[in-house]
Amino acid sequence: MTDTLSYLLMAWMDPNLLMLTALGTFAGIYIGAIPGLSVTMAVSILVSFTFSWDVNEALALIVGIFIGGVYGGSRSAILINIPGSPSSVATSFDGYPLAKRGEAGQAIGLSTVMSVIGGLCGTLVLACAAPVLGDLALQFAPRDYFLIAAIGLMLVGSLAAGSLAKGIVAVCLGAIVGMVGMDPVTAQGRFTMGQMELMGGIHYVVVMIGLFGVAEALYQLHNLDTAVVKQNVSKVIPPLAMVLRFLPLSLRTSAIGVLVGALPGVGGDIAALMAYDHAKRSVKNPSRPFGEGAYEGLVAPETANSAAVGSAYVPMLTLGMPGDAVTAVIIGALVVHGLNPGPMLMVENPHIFWFTVGNLALANIFLLIFGLMGIKLFAKVVELPKAVLIPLILVLCTVGSYSLNSSMTEVYWMFGFGVLGYFLKAFGFQMGPIILGVILGPLMDTSYRQAMASVGDNPQELLMELISSPVSLVLSAALLLIVLGNTPLYGWLKRKTARASSSPS
Amino acid sequence: MTTPKRVPVGERTFCVLLLIFSLVVLYQAFMISGFSSISSPGAFPLGISAVLLIASLRVLYELRGKPTDGDGWLTSFKRFKHTHFPRHIVVFTLLAVAYLVAIQWVSFYVSTFLFLMAAVVYLRRGKVLSALFASSALVLAIYLLFTLAFSVYLP
Repeated sequence: MTDTLSYLLMAWMDPNLLMLTALGTFAGIYIGAIPGLSVTMAVSILVSFTFSWDVNEALALIVGIFIGGVYGGSRSAILINIPGSPSSVATSFDGYPLAKRGEAGQAIGLSTVMSVIGGLCGTLVLACAAPVLGDLALQFAPRDYFLIAAIGLMLVGSLAAGSLAKGIVAVCLGAIVGMVGMDPVTAQGRFTMGQMELMGGIHYVVVMIGLFGVAEALYQLHNLDTAVVKQNVSKVIPPLAMVLRFLPLSLRTSAIGVLVGALPGVGGDIAALMAYDHAKRSVKNPSRPFGEGAYEGLVAPETANSAAVGSAYVPMLTLGMPGDAVTAVIIGALVVHGLNPGPMLMVENPHIFWFTVGNLALANIFLLIFGLMGIKLFAKVVELPKAVLIPLILVLCTVGSYSLNSSMTEVYWMFGFGVLGYFLKAFGFQMGPIILGVILGPLMDTSYRQAMASVGDNPQELLMELISSPVSLVLSAALLLIVLGNTPLYGWLKRKTARASSSPS
Repeated sequence: MTTPKRVPVGERTFCVLLLIFSLVVLYQAFMISGFSSISSPGAFPLGISAVLLIASLRVLYELRGKPTDGDGWLTSFKRFKHTHFPRHIVVFTLLAVAYLVAIQWVSFYVSTFLFLMAAVVYLRRGKVLSALFASSALVLAIYLLFTLAFSVYLP
């Protein structure tokens, strides 16, 4: 108990960690707010810079960036109608109309407070749910891991914007990239095409930096001349009555955020859209019609995307499965630091878990402080011209991938993935599913083979186990439902039942 | 699901290439250990490659019947270049490649400074003085941050 408390307060007590968390949160707000810089990009590059650090320090900085970045996206969404990050797409629906009415300050203030409420809800759920799930996870068999990973990949494939087929292509591409190199069991080369250099595999931080850094930077060159709209920002701190008025809604949408965030693979962007949709359907008398500057339309996505941050850590810390793209990168960070994310992490390194919980709470406090001040300075930073920003991103990506292994090979790989990512992006393939594939593919491979080996390579017996074990049964049913829900069969059934119910019998 | 009216130029070609790539991947997966055992090193790669192949087929199938511009090969290529590779992206990419090559020849800081300088001047269409200022400031920041604060290995 005292151990837990000391881990929990570690970031609060150690001035070094306190400063890093503050720095991360502050930097995160700006990174999130600058369109073209994403949290995933920042965290991917940071992982390579911080790997010589102590793991706590690296995690403190990353947690800060994560919390700050998810929130920061809302600022540019409100001020210039360009979501700074995918999770603030829904924020711009009502945030920008508010700014146009001259209520930008009020909107930013409210979104800050709501983000903090959401963030604290997410942290609380992480603190309560993860230990329970962690204990449960120890009883999971390899086949269950296989099923959970498959569910995660199906979800991310189907919920990613665009077509399901493209999502699945992206996931498979990632999984194959993840499997390049020596087979972990037999040390046989896979997808190496006889090249010795590929036997060590492709470092996935390199893939991440390429896809989220270079590809994104190249893509940003398309809109080099986005006009910056100046807004008059004043009166930032929202009145208490306003916060209280939206509290019930914010708790409901936090719940949505927490639930969606905890699903493996699905993160804040989807949570925010779902919460916005929920607010639209459930709020009877919004302050203004939705889409024309309703405060409810701002509260819902902002609480949900921040709540999803904490809960995205749940599958990551208990199962070793990323809750979203950023936690996928954080898994990379933990591996770089010699930790093994998975069910044993909570047992072997309980300090990582409680430290993360305490750190998330701390970052939320800093978010409240930084979010409500420094707005004037902020308006200047968003004006940083892309012509300077984009070359700088490339330099940072180069330094980042070089420092992983002190070799230029990694840098060339990174650039190669960047160009590939640019093409994929241009034709509507998403980057997030690729990264999740890179992490989850090898995990599925290992758990599949363990599951098969445990039944003596007998598929029939494995099928029997899927039905007889309650955990596996639930997971298989869920997977089956998701797969069916995405096939034409489901649409056909739906049409049929709709027709049956509408026609008088 | 939204169905765009037209297939973006080059998408069909890209998807065909993707299909060919999936076939190569499937072959490579088969080469790992063939169909020797259900839990061989190649079993899961084979499965995932099969899924990739099916999904790529599906992507191509989704493009059917959608109008393209029906232009000749050269016109399509030009349109493709115009949409996805406008001149500034090509120039920037070439600059980036030159930069990555140059790092090994001249030192990291020199090449970084030259690259930033060239890229900023090009992207801002002139404005040499401000580019000079921006690149010097950035190189200084990189030095302070990475060499002094992070102590990262630089190329």
